[in-house]
Amino acid sequence: MLQCIFLLADNGAVILEKQLTGHRVDRSICDWFWDHVISQGDSFKSMPVIASPTHYIFQIVRAGITFLACTQVEMPPLMGIEFLCRVADILSDYLGELNEDLIKDNFVIVYELLDEMIDNGFPLTTEPNILREMIAPPNIVSKMLSVVTGNSSNVSDILPGATASCVPWRPTDVKYANNEVYVDLVEEMDAIINRDGVLVKCEIYGEVQVNCLLSGLPDLTLSFANPSILHDVRFHPCVRFRPWESHQILSFVPPDGQFKLMSYRVKKLKSTPIYVKPQLTSDAGTCRISVMVGIRNDPGKTIDSIILQFQLPPCILSADLTSNHGTVNVLSNKICTWSIGRIPKDKAPSLSGTMVLETGLETLRVFPTFQVEFRIMGVALSGLQIDKLDLQNVPNRLYKGFRAVTRAGEYEVRS
Amino acid sequence: MAPPAQAHRSPSPSQPSGKGEVSDLKSQLRQLAGSRAPGIDDSKRELFKKVISYMTIGIDVSAVFGEMVMCSATSDIVLKKMCYLYVGNYAKVNPDLALLTINFLQRDCKDEDPMIRGLALRSLCSLRVANLVEYLVGPLGLGLKDNNSYVRTVAVIGVLKLYHISAPTCIDADFPPTLKHLMLNDPDPQVVANCLSALQEIWSLEASTSEEASREREALISKPVIYYLLNRIKEFSEWAQCLVLELVAKYVPLDSNEIFDIMNLLEDRLQHANGAVVLSTIKVFLHLTLSMTDVHQQVYERIKAPLLTLVSSGSPEQSYAVLSHLHILVMRAPFIFASDYKHFYCQYNEPSYVKKLKLEMLTAVANESNTYEIVTELCEYAANVDIPIARESIRAVGKIALQQYDVNAIVDRLLQFLEMEKDYVTAEALVLVKDLLRKYPQWSHDCIAVVGSISSQNVQEPKAKAALIWMLGEYSQDMQDAPYILESLTENWEEEPSAEVRLHLLTAVMKCFFKRPPETQKVLGAALAAGLADFHQDVHDRALFYYRLLQYNVSVAERVVNPPKQAVSVFADTQSSEIKDRIFDEFNSLSVVYQKPSYMFTDKDYRGPFEFSDELGNLSIAAESADNVVPAQGVEANDKDLLLSTSEKEEIRGATFNVSGYSAPLYDSSAASVQSELAIISSTSAGSAPSSSLAIDDLLGLGLSAAPAPEPASVPPSLKLNSKAILDPGTFQQKWRQLPISLSQEFSLSPEGVAALTTPQALLWHMQGHSIHCIASGGHSPNFKFFFFAQKAEESSNFLVECIINTSSAKAQVKIKADDQSTSQAFSDVFQSALSKFSV
Repeated sequence: MLQCIFLLADNGAVILEKQLTGHRVDRSICDWFWDHVISQGDSFKSMPVIASPTHYIFQIVRAGITFLACTQVEMPPLMGIEFLCRVADILSDYLGELNEDLIKDNFVIVYELLDEMIDNGFPLTTEPNILREMIAPPNIVSKMLSVVTGNSSNVSDILPGATASCVPWRPTDVKYANNEVYVDLVEEMDAIINRDGVLVKCEIYGEVQVNCLLSGLPDLTLSFANPSILHDVRFHPCVRFRPWESHQILSFVPPDGQFKLMSYRVKKLKSTPIYVKPQLTSDAGTCRISVMVGIRNDPGKTIDSIILQFQLPPCILSADLTSNHGTVNVLSNKICTWSIGRIPKDKAPSLSGTMVLETGLETLRVFPTFQVEFRIMGVALSGLQIDKLDLQNVPNRLYKGFRAVTRAGEYEVRS
Repeated sequence: MAPPAQAHRSPSPSQPSGKGEVSDLKSQLRQLAGSRAPGIDDSKRELFKKVISYMTIGIDVSAVFGEMVMCSATSDIVLKKMCYLYVGNYAKVNPDLALLTINFLQRDCKDEDPMIRGLALRSLCSLRVANLVEYLVGPLGLGLKDNNSYVRTVAVIGVLKLYHISAPTCIDADFPPTLKHLMLNDPDPQVVANCLSALQEIWSLEASTSEEASREREALISKPVIYYLLNRIKEFSEWAQCLVLELVAKYVPLDSNEIFDIMNLLEDRLQHANGAVVLSTIKVFLHLTLSMTDVHQQVYERIKAPLLTLVSSGSPEQSYAVLSHLHILVMRAPFIFASDYKHFYCQYNEPSYVKKLKLEMLTAVANESNTYEIVTELCEYAANVDIPIARESIRAVGKIALQQYDVNAIVDRLLQFLEMEKDYVTAEALVLVKDLLRKYPQWSHDCIAVVGSISSQNVQEPKAKAALIWMLGEYSQDMQDAPYILESLTENWEEEPSAEVRLHLLTAVMKCFFKRPPETQKVLGAALAAGLADFHQDVHDRALFYYRLLQYNVSVAERVVNPPKQAVSVFADTQSSEIKDRIFDEFNSLSVVYQKPSYMFTDKDYRGPFEFSDELGNLSIAAESADNVVPAQGVEANDKDLLLSTSEKEEIRGATFNVSGYSAPLYDSSAASVQSELAIISSTSAGSAPSSSLAIDDLLGLGLSAAPAPEPASVPPSLKLNSKAILDPGTFQQKWRQLPISLSQEFSLSPEGVAALTTPQALLWHMQGHSIHCIASGGHSPNFKFFFFAQKAEESSNFLVECIINTSSAKAQVKIKADDQSTSQAFSDVFQSALSKFSV
């Protein structure tokens, strides 16, 4: 079980420590860890699970803050890592975002949260809804309230109902004047296009995100028009398994507010919405580059926020790049960004230029990989469609909203 | 609290410089303590916040302990929380002051508000001051009976905390039975889960001293408890589910119906959003079906998709942990994942530790149908900006080539690498082409054409250079200018820093000489002269050896240095399957991430029940020196070195002594891995043996087993033993348990034998010479204990021996168990005669 948790700033200094068991873990472990990180060059490069001479360390990095947990016993590694991820999620949820100053300003809240999330090294509750009932977030509303009512406590006096209720993720008495429920399909397309322009791998990872603002104890069913395309699914604990197994229907009592209902994967997609065609030819110490971008399969909605990013190989001394559309930036660390935005109707955006190679090098042997970002509002590229959303005991006024968005995930084009 | 060492690192304006601020705080707190003015809580709160943040930054604010306690008389819950936090932090270092807090904490434990009751109880138990435990028992007892589940949850963990502070108090207060009752009856799942985790910990710690506790621990994995927990599994929080699933994985069902019931019940857990739950479920599935081969395969099919989704959904840290587990499954059953090879393609942004794992998996899943795609993909990585990954991927191509029968296309790719003009690519490719040629000599013509065109000036890395030189020597008849390249290399003898390269150069020149004597004669002279003058012992010795050999008889020299070779069929550097199995048994644990079974890296204080737990295990633990971690790691390293060095050395050995041509490495390798496993066992048992000397011992041992085994002349003709007998520890243990003792005797040792027996190792090597192998040993003078085994030469009939030697009385007590009882007397004679010959 975890013995302690440390939060480290981006310079390795300890922001906060929380000892969990009788075995006190000395802070010096953080120094060891930081030396280790520096020896690896970059904290993103060091492994999530490290064996130090005295402890096994789990670490994740979020927004420059390293969350570190130590243990001396054998335990499921994913449990340690998942827990740290939850801590990071909950903290950023509570504080609005994550940074050193925010944590320092809210030490007490962070301690309170950790106290409820883990006891004696064993994770207790990480359900945001329950935590929020036990410990009020430090938001403007609660500050206003405390001024108005004079009740300055940021902890509710009563215990969360959910700890006793049979639906642990939902508070017992939720009331809304307007009953609303929003369902979003958020998809990410991962693709690899190889040197020959062949689509090697194309997959969609999607999530069904629900924002539920409903009174009482609503029981919802959500069905898809084409559930058979889903390759593998994972559910929020509220989803009942049997209806899904027999009819591919999601039947659930939702948590209150925003949550991730399910995630899914759709395999083996045949085409991508845009094409990127890089061409590199080198001769006598210079390399000519030209990249064309255009729409391959029109998804029916505008593709926007198209950004192309690539790392120039270290053997390139200088690069002179221009584009006929959008802006090109080359940073000092040789990362080159081409922001295209939307593809204009009249021309295909292209980037071209020359790059000077290191002296003594005739031709380029190491080729950059182009990472593509884009966003398409209103379309789920996997083709998944929501059929209908039903409610038992429909309240008087009910608004149902559906949206979809597809973004590029790990979308890379090799040259 | 740690000293404020870090304080200067993060200077912030609000931070106090030192003592002045603390005493300021002290006086301010004192003023507030007595005051009852309205709004006082707010000002207290500000001050408390300050204290807490100082404490967090690492400034010692224990000086205000008294004042904090005085101020704690408040109804404000936030103030209380801050106060609890402060007290919990400093109580352990100020036990006297902690006494002050007991009073108000005990009072809070009876508060109306369950939240306060729970918090106070938690703080009370977190004080961790040994002389205050008497104050804990009462509130804990009440807490366990509280009608609010939150308080009960806290109280249960409190019992565990109490146990760690003072185990007798906890046991005397009869808390464990109370927890057991709660676990089986409480309506709140979190209480049940906490009871389970507390009981598991308490009973496994108690089990060593109390029979009853170990019975109770066994009872946790009994059918009623497991079924009770499984039936409630959906009520539990995700973390508690992990705990329950870990427990279920230890349960052994009675029949297959039970197995299917459990699997049906848990199937939907594979769809859970929490990766830890999914992995725990997978562990249960794998363990349940271990004995049912076909269902086990189906389980692999079933868990494939959830695992792959986990990899692609979470943060990089999560995917790494999942990938490590996937890695072990892929290694066990590559064919099941063969069609999903695209999931193991590396993405540009992934950290290199993830890419490395993926490359290994790509290598493993390659088969006839997907090799082309995989190799194409791997070749793209060779042009990667990330040089270590580029190297790894070229090696991966090579490994695939070595495991495939149809290597046509791959050879072409490798040869393309050679033409890529990147030094590291060329270097890696050269090493691979060498290995490839050793396995597929039929490709020599294609390869030689390309290799011949590589200028040796462009190759700098010792390994690559050695490979190139080896090929020059081996195929000198096909390469026009081989003698001249060798000549120029010999001319630069002085500039060559690597002894390995110089050794290879000597051998290559010799080989070349046998094939093309007129052209090479001059070079040979120069090389031998340079070798004789070399300051490196090995190079010098080899040069001298060649020289004398040539002097003696050239044709004999040719037979020794350049005999006809057989293609290598299996290379030696694969991880032993025994270790892989052990890691698999520890699925969903840190072992998987490290790719080592836990006995190789965890501290024994924390080690869970270990498979060698009966006799062998006791023996090894009894003999263990205090600190096991370092020797174990040392041995690991040695083990690796050993394997590596054998795979490199096999060639040298083959070239120089060449007992049985190139088929020799095959046997050597298996002997080597057995040997090194023995080394692990014997050294974990005899942790006192310094690991440095161990490596040497092992190498010597290797020499023993690799050289034509000293034929046991002493063995009476009635019983011939197999000098290359192999038995893995698991089988040994199993057999030892099953077989009856067929002979139990006492021998006496010769005085020389007693004198020689200073460490267990000494006897091991001796007995090995008599074809009796050791599987485990331990002890210090004067008492030693050994487990030996031997195999009949003609049939696989085993003899197992337990031998306890007392050097002060010069007696050896021997228990022999045998597959074939009738021969045990004969074996006993052999054993006795071998033992009696033992001396310095």
